[in-house]
Amino acid sequence: MRPIIKVENLSKRYRIGTGAAHRGALRYTTLRESLSRMASAPFKKLSRGGRAPEETIWALRDVTFDIMPSEVVGIIGANGSGKSTLLKVLSRITEPTTGRVELYGRVASLLEVGTGFHPDLTGKENIYLNGAVLGMKRREIARKFDEIVAFAEIDKFLDTSVKYYSSGMYVRLAFAVAAHLDPDILIVDEVLAVGDASFQKKCLGKMDDVTKSGRTVLFVSHAMEMIAQLCERTILMKDGRINKAGPSREVIDYYIGLYNRG
Amino acid sequence: MEAVTRTEGDGLAGPGRGSEQALYHLPEKPLVVIEPHKSWVALNLRDLWLYRETFYFLVWRDIKVRYKQTVFGVAWAIIQPLFLMLAFAFFFGQLVRVSSDGAPYPIWVYVGILPWTFFSNALANSGNSLIGNSNLITKVYFPRLIIPSAAIAAGLLDFAIAFALLLGFIPFYGLGLSRSVLMLPPLVLLVTFLALAVGIWTSALNARYRDVRHALPFVIQLWMFATPIIYPLSIVPPEYRWVIALNPLTGIVEGFRSALFGWPFNWGALAFSAAITLFLFVFFIYVFRRMESSFADVI
Repeated sequence: MRPIIKVENLSKRYRIGTGAAHRGALRYTTLRESLSRMASAPFKKLSRGGRAPEETIWALRDVTFDIMPSEVVGIIGANGSGKSTLLKVLSRITEPTTGRVELYGRVASLLEVGTGFHPDLTGKENIYLNGAVLGMKRREIARKFDEIVAFAEIDKFLDTSVKYYSSGMYVRLAFAVAAHLDPDILIVDEVLAVGDASFQKKCLGKMDDVTKSGRTVLFVSHAMEMIAQLCERTILMKDGRINKAGPSREVIDYYIGLYNRG
Repeated sequence: MEAVTRTEGDGLAGPGRGSEQALYHLPEKPLVVIEPHKSWVALNLRDLWLYRETFYFLVWRDIKVRYKQTVFGVAWAIIQPLFLMLAFAFFFGQLVRVSSDGAPYPIWVYVGILPWTFFSNALANSGNSLIGNSNLITKVYFPRLIIPSAAIAAGLLDFAIAFALLLGFIPFYGLGLSRSVLMLPPLVLLVTFLALAVGIWTSALNARYRDVRHALPFVIQLWMFATPIIYPLSIVPPEYRWVIALNPLTGIVEGFRSALFGWPFNWGALAFSAAITLFLFVFFIYVFRRMESSFADVI
């Protein structure tokens, strides 16, 4: 039995600007700064220590784990513990600083509902656009089109620009497209809590089907009940490292214990 | 991918469920390896090909969205160059009486406006394309080269429409077309590649340095004066001509005129434009690939 996802010593370092540090924002350079840095570079060796060393933060530190095919794994942790960075690296959105990941299947990542939706396009047009952006082929979208529309319950508004949709209709459509993705590995970040209570129930039901269809799923969520219900194994992240991994109930209880004790 | 077989709805969910696991046949080699990039980055044509449908849909989106909620719709593709032509014909053709190498000034200037409008719009659109699509860049993976390229490809439709208008002018001015028009497809290709080269580079710079957003409209304006669009190269004093000739668009614009008016081609200038374009294209794609890995972090 070989893993479908192999993560070895994965680390990711971000540079944070001194001024922007408190906002948690990344520093972005202006051309002038780069030019002046370039111009002053030769002199820097002369005046050692003249400038404060650049502030960096390790969002991920030496993360190693394997995931077997058709496993459904939850990832939990406090804000800023590195969950989202991990998903971003696995989705190839950002590059790791060191380490290596091997993926033995087609990946689709769902870090947000409605990625690429354009407000001026109609519901129908957005289904195609969003599907394509998420990695579906045109034929695949056409085949699942009716199913998507039925799931989203928006058939009357198919030819209306989505900017006129209510926010509920918008997220229903967005989730419906995403729910019909068919990759080997699905990476999901806290996107299930959308729509009203009855639609949420439908989403959860759909996710339950997805996890039972033998797909490998990685799930980030703060909703512990959902993790406990959908995933049999859970990874707890803390300060960019894996704090604990194991059966979901155990890890969740440990995590909740951490905060109750404090 | 195809190697992974899966039975639908068999309730298998994870390891430790025994024999169902044998249904999986993982590929021997990983489909994707994620590592820090090496100093030399190849173009990764395989990835570009895999994501061709994403390119197609982004072009389709840019075209669809451009004229949504406009009264004149796609007519804007004609209005823009047409009114430029009328303005130039009046000010430079009638009042200043700029030479047009013997051709009627309005149509002569229109032939110059055509590639210029395409090029300048392509540059403006692609230059801002990465920033405009930052929501995609931070949420999904696909080769980022697709974004500025799609912005440029979408402009080809407007180019074609504006070109159709030109064909309407030709009988009106009593011009006969010669075999030189056969040079048009290579010229269109050349200006597209030049736009791709500069647009790809600008978009990457813009993602990192927002100065580009302020500089771009102004650079485009200056570039127009450095290109013989409203004036012919022949009125530039010979000692300054080399400055204008360094601009790769010069050979292309002059080429368009030669092709449509049946004038002799300046092969030297064209070869120079082609060489510069090729060099910029390769170099700027290399630069883009070098910067690509940090887009999601800096945008």
